[in-house]
Amino acid sequence: MSRYAMVTDLRKCVGCEACTVACNAEWSVPAGFARTHVRKTEIAGTFPNLTSGIHVAQCNQCDRPPCAEACPSGATSQGADGIVRVDKDLCIGCAFCVAACPYDARYINPATKKVDKCDFCLPRIARGEQPVCVTTCTAHAKYFGDLEDRGSEVFRLVYAEGARRIETASVAVGPNVYYLGKPESLALVATSFPPRAPRLPAAGEAWRMAVRPLVMLAVGATFLGQAVAFFTQLAKGENDFED
Amino acid sequence: MTGFSRRRFLGTAAAAGASAAATTAPAVSAHPPGWHGGERVLKVATHCEMCFWRCGVLASVSEGKVVRLEGNPDHPLTQGRLCARGNAGTGLLYDPDRLKFPLLRTGKRGEGQFKRATWDEALDFLALKLDAIKKEHGPEAVAFFPHGIGSRFFGTLMKAYGTPNSAEPSFAQCRGPRDVGYSLTFGQGLGSPEPVDLEESKLIVLIGSHLGENVFTSQITAFATGLSRGAKLIAVDPRFSTAAAKADWWLPIRPGTDIALLLAWMNVLIAERLYDQPYVAKNAQGFEQLAAHVRDFTPEWAETITELPAAQIRETARAMGQAKPAVVVHPGRHVTWYGDDTQRARAMAILTALLGSWGRKGGIFLPTPLAPGGIELPDFPESERGRADGAGGRFPLASEELGVTNGLVDATLSGDPYPIKAWIVYGQNVIESIPQPKRTLEAIEKLDLMVVVDVLPVDQIDYADVVLPEATYLERYDSPLFVGSAKRPFVAIRQPVIEPLYESKPGWWIAKQLAKRLGLEGFFPWDTPDQHLAALVEPLGINTLELHNRGAIAFPGRPYIEDRSPDDEPLFNTTSGKIQLFSKELKDLGADPLPRYTNVTDPPKGFLRLIYGRAPVHSFARTENNEALHALMPENEAWIHTRTAAELQVHDGDRVPFENDEGARSLPVRVKVTEGIRRDCVYLVHGFGQRSKGLRRASGKGASDTSLMSRVKVDPLMGGTGMRVNFVRPVKA
Amino acid sequence: MRTEAIPVHAVPLTAAQAETMAQLRIKKHHVAIMLLHWFNASVWLLELLTGLALISSHYFRVVPLWYVSIAEGAFGGRANMLHFHVALGLTWIVVFLVYGTFGFRTYLGEVLHKEIALDRDDFRWLIVRTLRILGRSNEPLPPQGSYNAGQKLFAFMIYAMIPVVMVSGVVMAFQLFGPAVVGWAIVAHFAAVGAVVSGLMVHVYMGAVFPEEKSAFFSMITGTVDELYAYSHHFKWWREVKLAQAEWEQRHDRGRLVPTEPAAAAPIAGNSDPEGGQEQTPGP
Repeated sequence: MSRYAMVTDLRKCVGCEACTVACNAEWSVPAGFARTHVRKTEIAGTFPNLTSGIHVAQCNQCDRPPCAEACPSGATSQGADGIVRVDKDLCIGCAFCVAACPYDARYINPATKKVDKCDFCLPRIARGEQPVCVTTCTAHAKYFGDLEDRGSEVFRLVYAEGARRIETASVAVGPNVYYLGKPESLALVATSFPPRAPRLPAAGEAWRMAVRPLVMLAVGATFLGQAVAFFTQLAKGENDFED
Repeated sequence: MTGFSRRRFLGTAAAAGASAAATTAPAVSAHPPGWHGGERVLKVATHCEMCFWRCGVLASVSEGKVVRLEGNPDHPLTQGRLCARGNAGTGLLYDPDRLKFPLLRTGKRGEGQFKRATWDEALDFLALKLDAIKKEHGPEAVAFFPHGIGSRFFGTLMKAYGTPNSAEPSFAQCRGPRDVGYSLTFGQGLGSPEPVDLEESKLIVLIGSHLGENVFTSQITAFATGLSRGAKLIAVDPRFSTAAAKADWWLPIRPGTDIALLLAWMNVLIAERLYDQPYVAKNAQGFEQLAAHVRDFTPEWAETITELPAAQIRETARAMGQAKPAVVVHPGRHVTWYGDDTQRARAMAILTALLGSWGRKGGIFLPTPLAPGGIELPDFPESERGRADGAGGRFPLASEELGVTNGLVDATLSGDPYPIKAWIVYGQNVIESIPQPKRTLEAIEKLDLMVVVDVLPVDQIDYADVVLPEATYLERYDSPLFVGSAKRPFVAIRQPVIEPLYESKPGWWIAKQLAKRLGLEGFFPWDTPDQHLAALVEPLGINTLELHNRGAIAFPGRPYIEDRSPDDEPLFNTTSGKIQLFSKELKDLGADPLPRYTNVTDPPKGFLRLIYGRAPVHSFARTENNEALHALMPENEAWIHTRTAAELQVHDGDRVPFENDEGARSLPVRVKVTEGIRRDCVYLVHGFGQRSKGLRRASGKGASDTSLMSRVKVDPLMGGTGMRVNFVRPVKA
Repeated sequence: MRTEAIPVHAVPLTAAQAETMAQLRIKKHHVAIMLLHWFNASVWLLELLTGLALISSHYFRVVPLWYVSIAEGAFGGRANMLHFHVALGLTWIVVFLVYGTFGFRTYLGEVLHKEIALDRDDFRWLIVRTLRILGRSNEPLPPQGSYNAGQKLFAFMIYAMIPVVMVSGVVMAFQLFGPAVVGWAIVAHFAAVGAVVSGLMVHVYMGAVFPEEKSAFFSMITGTVDELYAYSHHFKWWREVKLAQAEWEQRHDRGRLVPTEPAAAAPIAGNSDPEGGQEQTPGP
């Protein structure tokens, strides 16, 4: 059992986007899309008392991933290690998960037409290597490890140094990417790039709220009707063959 | 990475094409096929040239295609880290817009009409022309504009040909002033990478440096490490840069007044006896003169000039005093700003000396020079007429090794001291790298011959007579890199990862071929790159096979004064053997021996000072066509302060061209209205606004800062072109 | 049987007549139809069983998790199950297209025109049948053709829904037209299958469980129904068949003395055309 997590130290991060490009190159993400994003906040305050921040975001491999809930085919699932995987064989490209992700961490790859996202470089960590964003980071600002390992760097950063999650009161799905930052700057990042409420696209909403209940009703009613007919028939006996 | 499947390149291309198709087929598993999927992947160690930091790279090759570039963990300086541009190097290698074969001009200069030529045709034509120019005008009539390590072979060729006229923009448009200023003070320049001990520092002072947007992999690592260990940060910048956002003190200084600030800092350090007295007493000369000089340059005096509160000036000086000697006063990199840049570098060097941080841990460490081997060459012909760029002449302190590019432009335009008839440009885009582009173009019009050796069809090729396609850094051998200004000095190899694509050729081959045709093959007495490499590195005890495998070999360094013994070279290579706070050399030249603030000209009413800088995902004007990097930043933006924007009636997101007070105009650019810049400035990232039709992604995107630089303020000591003296405003519709 | 002996309406039969008719068989279904029917039934059942297990999200799932687990286990994983579902679905589509293209005129043309078009009798049948189920009427059911109105409605529903299932399935299998379309395809697929399942429940019940239709069930295996069933439940079709039989007999009955066989040829009482007199077949 493990719970993989990442900590990004935004005090060190300079927003150089080495991570984005390395990740795109490693996983053949088409230009214009990304598994990890570097976003700068607006510069807040009035000259010369200013704050700004940098947000480095990717799939958070959440404790309670809304994407896994939303996926109709079960392509998206969470492993025992905490990593949310996408089984490309099962993905039908409906993008329900894209709408469900509060952190907008997923995208549909126009070449494969299936959804893609960060998986903490699963094949690499399986070989004992680190994710490429971590290994290429010019500021050594990213840390990756197992939160269940008390000796790990990420454990120390989260529990001893207070690396925090970016959540809101209404959207708290337990993201496993934590951040360290100058308090003002980190607060600005959290308010500039908060998670949004998970949603479903129109088709998914229609299915969940209307079509599924209707179908269940129809099938159920039919079944009941048949059951009644059957019992009536039993009662009446078989040779009701006059006409 | 895709889209390179052009004809003409049989065999490997077919396999590469199949592999390309495979990698773009719908991925059933998480990996692109042929990558980690169990196939044999060859990794080649080399170093990057997406910028000039030259980080170690491991290139993965699968089926003849470079599939991945990663940092080389074994590299002594960068230790496996690689920035956005380094990771995107395959985008240059497989850029469909690359120069593919030699071109000879057919239309008028500037039209960009070419016919395709074979190498023989192009080189024969070139040799013919060069011989003719030599006969008619003398070899000095050929000016060479190199940039980058690959230029070394051409450098040798030009010297052999007999011209002393060679100039890199890295001197007069970039680092020149600081190397001169520090040389005058400490006896040596700073070199690249500059030896800043950021990771051990207790206080980092950035003057105009926007480290963080200016990305050099290992320096970012050191910077971030230093900060995480508790180093404080002072950022002096008219703009709220990424570094300023991290800073403990942001000093939004009035542009051009940095010398006043530096003098005031010195004033406080001396008046409050916060400078490193023992160090200065032992190692420096001229302290009394300095103390007297700065006595009146109080923070209050500086406040009126710099628009920084005196209290802040005092506070930051005290912080430096407390943190010394582990203070890095970062010397900057591009420092050709206002024409008094050598004096400002002198002030920074003096400050460094006062803090005792030169040669100390957490300050500026000492390079450990590595002496490369060499190749026995015949003597280069002496030039009777001497250089035309003014180095050593009207620019007495300019480097004769690196040259003054704008001096060559001047000479070409004026014919003084003698006519320049040909330009050979390697690895730089003179229209973007040298300010006053109109003058550059006028100069080009006067040439009989303009040769460009490049990888991409940048703007200047439209004016070239001969265009020679060089192989990219991933396809060629270059002279090995000797880096002494690292805590562990090292030698690094650049070796081809794959065979050159199309008909591109490595620089060494082009230079040798040209040399043969010019009768100068005696200056290239080696047949293969391996011979060349061995001659250069074996004298250091390096095994070339090991170098091929590992990419770089490190040597022990002696970065701090305490590591040095009396048997080493003198610590301070000055005439006095000490740190020269007071510069007799400058006095003898009739310049200020101690830096003085000279009044900066403010922008005229309605205009803003144009300042410029870098973005982490781009390198100058060379990466804007790169697919991955373009996707992250397709254009630049003009930063304007909220109130200024209101006065000028522009809004966030407006796309307007800018014009300067001399009528020069840029392409339209997106306006970014922000609080993060002084009201009197506008900021642009350099490298955009390219017009080359051949660069399909980059062309027409954003605005070129160079196109707005019709004015420069030339540093009289070394010829550097101060560029932050142009005043612009948005053009009303 | 002679034409005039064929009643115009479904008059009550004597016990003897009923017993005779119960022994006689009429061909109802071509072999092709039967094969196709059972092919459809098995394919759709498998598709339903796998399809239900493929919906795992609790927002959309309609079966319990243990069912999903069992199904996944049976296939050795969800991916295999999906591959099976898609492969089988595509196979079915191919078969259907082949059948539809080549067999259209022979098998489908007639069916669409005659056998499942609704007429006035059908509409009345629907009303009367409903009222009878509710116990609100004892009116006899109007005569029906080859398929009764209920069966016709079912057919319409299948003809409408199955193309939706096919097309939406193909869209999902190949991720056609982008995520928004794929998303709606899932919903359409689910809704259409839901409608089909509802209809199928009635169809299966009626065919396999309801005793009156026992004959019909076996007709899908043997291809024939007994005449009594046909007469009682699908009179108009029975009449057509009989008329055709009689006409065939007459055309093939030349150069032969027509024996006077009163018994077999006893006219069915009430055989009077309300609009005119008896038809007389001309004598030899």
